Amino acid sequence: MINGTVVDLSRVQFAATALYHFLFVPLTLGLSFLLAAMETVYVTTGRPIYREMTQFWSKLFMINFALGVATGLTMEFEFGTNWSFYSGFVGDIFGAPLAIEGLMAFFLESTFVGLMIFGWERLSKGQHLAVTWLVALGSNLSALWILVANSFMQDPRGAVFNPTTMRMQLASFGALVFSPDAQSKFVHTSIAGYVTAAVFVAGVSAFYMRRHRHMDLAKRSFRMAALFGVMATIGVITLGDALGFVAARVQPTKLAAMEAVWKTEKAPMPFNLIAFPDQARRVNHGAVRIPDLLSLLVTHTFTGTVPGIDALERQAARRIRNGIPAVEALQTLAGDPHDAVARAQFEAHKADVGYGFLVQRYAPDLQQVTPQEIKRAARDTIPAVAAVFWAFRSMVAFGLLMLAYFVMAMLYTLRNSVQDRPWFLTLGVWMIPIPFLANECGWLVAELGRQPWTVFGVLPTWMSVSDHSVGYMVFSLCGFLLLYTTFIIIEMYLMTRAIRIGPEAPGSGGQSGHARAAQEAHLGG
Amino acid sequence: MSRTTSTSIEGAAMKTLAYFLLFLVLAFCVILLAVVLGDRGAWYFAWLIGTPLIVLVSAAGAAWLDTHEASASAHGKVHKTH
Repeated sequence: MINGTVVDLSRVQFAATALYHFLFVPLTLGLSFLLAAMETVYVTTGRPIYREMTQFWSKLFMINFALGVATGLTMEFEFGTNWSFYSGFVGDIFGAPLAIEGLMAFFLESTFVGLMIFGWERLSKGQHLAVTWLVALGSNLSALWILVANSFMQDPRGAVFNPTTMRMQLASFGALVFSPDAQSKFVHTSIAGYVTAAVFVAGVSAFYMRRHRHMDLAKRSFRMAALFGVMATIGVITLGDALGFVAARVQPTKLAAMEAVWKTEKAPMPFNLIAFPDQARRVNHGAVRIPDLLSLLVTHTFTGTVPGIDALERQAARRIRNGIPAVEALQTLAGDPHDAVARAQFEAHKADVGYGFLVQRYAPDLQQVTPQEIKRAARDTIPAVAAVFWAFRSMVAFGLLMLAYFVMAMLYTLRNSVQDRPWFLTLGVWMIPIPFLANECGWLVAELGRQPWTVFGVLPTWMSVSDHSVGYMVFSLCGFLLLYTTFIIIEMYLMTRAIRIGPEAPGSGGQSGHARAAQEAHLGG
Repeated sequence: MSRTTSTSIEGAAMKTLAYFLLFLVLAFCVILLAVVLGDRGAWYFAWLIGTPLIVLVSAAGAAWLDTHEASASAHGKVHKTH
């Protein structure tokens, strides 16, 4: 039996490395497309300011990209080192998208990033633009495959469990790639990256405008970011709704935790705007509720209900009882793979084999399992409600705040008056951390909400880890925290330094429109 | 008409035909992709269409600012002249 502390430390270590890594990824996803937008304007208009903009933001993109790659590499190895049972159990499915992600990231994305940075004087305008678009496409397609792999963990489609090999095997690559969770999660995450980049570019541009530096570059960057951001924020909220709709069907326990629904109520159900969930007593304290809204949000009707935690626990207990014979059959098949009776028993109960594994944590000998152990395992199927509830609400609040910010930013920039509003420019700078916090909260909702499973309904987290010692886990966790904190400090230092220095040709981005027009006329003529 | 001119016109026509065929094939590929993605992966399709749209709106906004500034600058010059 694996030590519970090792399980917890493995989870903390993966969560920490993923959360650190996810600070860098969204900016790469979004900034790459903003670079493509800037360079598209450069190629179509021929105005040098857009080349200068592309080159300046490319520099910040590169700092972020390099540190994103450095923090991402370790995570792929972590599956093997800390999650070896998981890797063996689902490697046949999980490995395929992960391998494609590696090809995308290292062949397509990295190759074209090199061409984008060093190719300005070696490629034609059109060729360089194509390269920049390919960098954007490569970055986002790389994320697609990671999210396909992650979606398999949330909603395992396209795979079957083989009782002979004791592994899951790929049955349909199409079902894996086109699963509703993979689709909505990819688009939601990718567009969240667009929002992150838009807030970042708008914030840095606001910083310049506040100090009357690089005005031409800052005004144009701000306008592009504001329009990019307002559309992306609308998209990210739409896809958030789609993701919630999918979760209601495939992960009802996650949805119940997100909304702190302890008891199933008659439709239309009220929405907990604010509440303080008490997991031990199964109640919410100080709840502020909006009538009828939950049914509408989750089912898009006033007649739909959301199963409460009480009903989900009863359902889990039933599934645990049904899963126990499946696990017993697997134990028999491990000794004799040709045992027809055991195989028939497994086939009859295989839908709930994961629930059988779940109770093994408390009853290694399933012949001796007690109703209390089943009840305890059923309670485990509910994630940490308060953490999921508040992470979800924080993410939504940050999303709505960014929508309001971008609507105002769009209005001010389209009136060409944003530079005359110092308070709004200051707000723009303070907004920079918001999308990063929203992204982290989103990741917490997705991953904490999946517990106690690594593969939802199939493989419990407690079974998935490697059999390390506590000392090893503490040592490696401290090492990662130290290393990744150093990376964050380096990123902050390099970014701040590059922003303070500004575009490479000092003053060129700050010329008046008239002086620039004269220079361009001269160049053109 | 000289032989050289005639060859050059034929060459241009062949080039146009090649481009026409290329874009026709591209259009068929896009339709095929749209049908497959629209059927099996509606959100992927939305991303594929939505991302260039966001980029183009953002780019149009920048071009609009250029036009606005150029017009304001020209207007200023006219005022100065008067």
